[in-house]
Amino acid sequence: MSTVDGLTAPVDVADEVSTASRRRLARRRGGAGRSSLGSGARWAGWLFALPALVMYAVFELYPIITAVQYSFFDWDGVSVATPAGLDNYTRVFTEPQLLASIIHAFILIIFFTFLPVLLALVVASIVREIRSKALGATARTMMFLPQIIPGAASAIAWTWMYSPNGAVNQLLTALGLESLTRAWLGDFTWALPAVGIIGTWLATGLCTLLLMAGIGKIDASLYEAASLDGANRIQQFRAITLPGLRQEIGVCITITIIAALASFDVVFMSTQGGPGYATQVPGVQVYQLAFTENRIGQSSALAVVLSIIVLAVILPIQRFFREK
Amino acid sequence: MHNARRSPHPSRRTVLGVIGALSVAGVAACSAPGPASTSGAADSTPTAVSTSITTAPVTLKLYDGQGLKALDDALIAAFTKKHPNVTITPTYDPDNVTTQNQPRQLASATPPDLIRVISVTSGTKNNLLTNLDAYATAYGWDQIPASQLAQFRAKDGVAGSGSLFAKASGFTMTGLYYNKKLAQQVGMTTPPASVDELTTLMGKAKAAGLTGMVVANKEGGGVFPYQLLLNTAMGPDKVSQWVFNAQGATINNAESVAAATQVDSWNKAGLFPQAINALDANAADALFAANKGLFFPWGNWDAANLDKTMPGQVGFFPMPPATPGGKVAAMSDAATAFGIPSKSQNKDVAAAFLDFLSSDEARQIAVDNGFMPTGLASQPAPTIKPGSVLADVTKAFAAVSADNGQVPFVQNATAGISNQAWTPESQLMLAGKSTPEQFVANVQATYEDELKR
Repeated sequence: MSTVDGLTAPVDVADEVSTASRRRLARRRGGAGRSSLGSGARWAGWLFALPALVMYAVFELYPIITAVQYSFFDWDGVSVATPAGLDNYTRVFTEPQLLASIIHAFILIIFFTFLPVLLALVVASIVREIRSKALGATARTMMFLPQIIPGAASAIAWTWMYSPNGAVNQLLTALGLESLTRAWLGDFTWALPAVGIIGTWLATGLCTLLLMAGIGKIDASLYEAASLDGANRIQQFRAITLPGLRQEIGVCITITIIAALASFDVVFMSTQGGPGYATQVPGVQVYQLAFTENRIGQSSALAVVLSIIVLAVILPIQRFFREK
Repeated sequence: MHNARRSPHPSRRTVLGVIGALSVAGVAACSAPGPASTSGAADSTPTAVSTSITTAPVTLKLYDGQGLKALDDALIAAFTKKHPNVTITPTYDPDNVTTQNQPRQLASATPPDLIRVISVTSGTKNNLLTNLDAYATAYGWDQIPASQLAQFRAKDGVAGSGSLFAKASGFTMTGLYYNKKLAQQVGMTTPPASVDELTTLMGKAKAAGLTGMVVANKEGGGVFPYQLLLNTAMGPDKVSQWVFNAQGATINNAESVAAATQVDSWNKAGLFPQAINALDANAADALFAANKGLFFPWGNWDAANLDKTMPGQVGFFPMPPATPGGKVAAMSDAATAFGIPSKSQNKDVAAAFLDFLSSDEARQIAVDNGFMPTGLASQPAPTIKPGSVLADVTKAFAAVSADNGQVPFVQNATAGISNQAWTPESQLMLAGKSTPEQFVANVQATYEDELKR
């Protein structure tokens, strides 16, 4: 089972490749003259990494650092900035609407993470049983389709489906559940779950694909042995599939929780945070503060807080799924 | 193989630590963002201006929103035909992006020569806009009715009066569209003369199974009927002062609560569409075009569309006053308010274009593109296709202008008030989750909060 290591696989591969190439490089250099070029070889590795490091510094580190810097100023993006100390951060935690938006982001985890992972587990286990190759491939493609469509585009499509005369209400009416029909995105109670369902639809495909890849790696003889021992499907699922997918589930949960906490496109395109403040999330707030209100400092502070929250949630999850 | 993971790579904690340290170092080492000091004050108030423009070839850059492209292109074509040595190169951004890009365009080292002015006060705060007073005197713009220019004046960071900083290419106009066939059905022969009459007509429409007033509030359209009522309840001056952030201005008063209460009671009486908070502007258009709604509070921008989809079936009138015979008012701001950035090198030529905007030729172009013309009352009226709803809109604009009733939109009072207060608070009120009193009090609180910073 030590080969089933989905979560760290990319890291491992990268490590192995780089270590191997370094060794190879050293060996080759060694052949040419170990004594004179030994120290040069160490730097040669960095030289290869340099383009990536420059990109990382310019497009990742620099924006992060400037965002942290801006967050300590009151700045409209154009004129002279005035130092604001910790005021911007105080507001994040004292302004009820900013705080509420953070809570909404956590509620979205139910829809962006829990539901997709559960659905994906069910679907992946069923697809594993499908003997026909063509059928399996079709099922995989169908499940993955939502992932190809940009979030903004699917949000617009869902907005039509959720409209008072849209597909959702038509379906409910056809099923005789007319009493349940409502203007989903205009309803204070139901707008947030409705937006969340869009996220479920988007994330399920990705999770299914990851989990199916993971199931493929589980030794088929384990299932065979288990069924010879008389284990039923549910027992097999609990004893083989679930432990075997530990790393993949970790990846799914990590990616989707980040998507939930940092959600922007789906909410922005479907509700803009409305009705009232019912679906306001930090991602949309960051955008609105920076670009419609020109409050760059306040926006940066919220963005920094959001990043810290994401890290605080993700790091323990990573640790949990990495432990054996 | 798994030993590779234990190879001497920095642990995640180390990396995080390094990033953290770098950020702190960055904050400590860098100075404040933005320019070191405000500059450009030197040429923001020209005094030696000329109304005769150069005959040498000159190229002006113009910046505006995509929605105004047709109007601007026609104006540019007409102007450059008169002045063949002038070339105007326009740049258009998508309308919802202009709010974000305009401040950057204005602040750039080589700004456009003619720019869409979104906030006169933020443009003057940093001395980025040219004071047009000298041109106004030279060209005689002072003769234009005061309410057409007040929105583009500013003094000490407050708009509404003081020096002139922009001139409009035309005006928008708001009021109530009505479906002529349905009006006949409920026995409406002339537009209602008072709010009570309007309410009665909407009640009759509801009794006939129609929507009394087509209001869509997903994007905050519910603020429209409220402000149409507020304009006359509070008076155009007071509402304008509030939008212009005058000291001590408030909408948390009895008149404003009365306007909100009226809207709330219309909603509670079922005169608005169901699911009002889920309807967007397109859905409202569709509802009205389907002959299901009697009144539709909206603006001139929809006139061309309505003339096409419902030819001859739609009329327009300004929101009636509380009592018959009272003054009328409407939200009406610039199609585009063009200003000249301080750093422009071609101010005289740019000012000549601003002057051209109120010429007879430009007025006709404005009307042809569905906007209300700017200029003197004595200028000949542009020709409009008789019987079109645009003719009704222009007539209503003339009535509002005569009453000095042009009011800017309350959504433009501060940069964030539309997103942060008007839209969500109106959604709360129309869902019955807040009272009219809370509605105006909460908007006022956000307004004061945003201005304090």
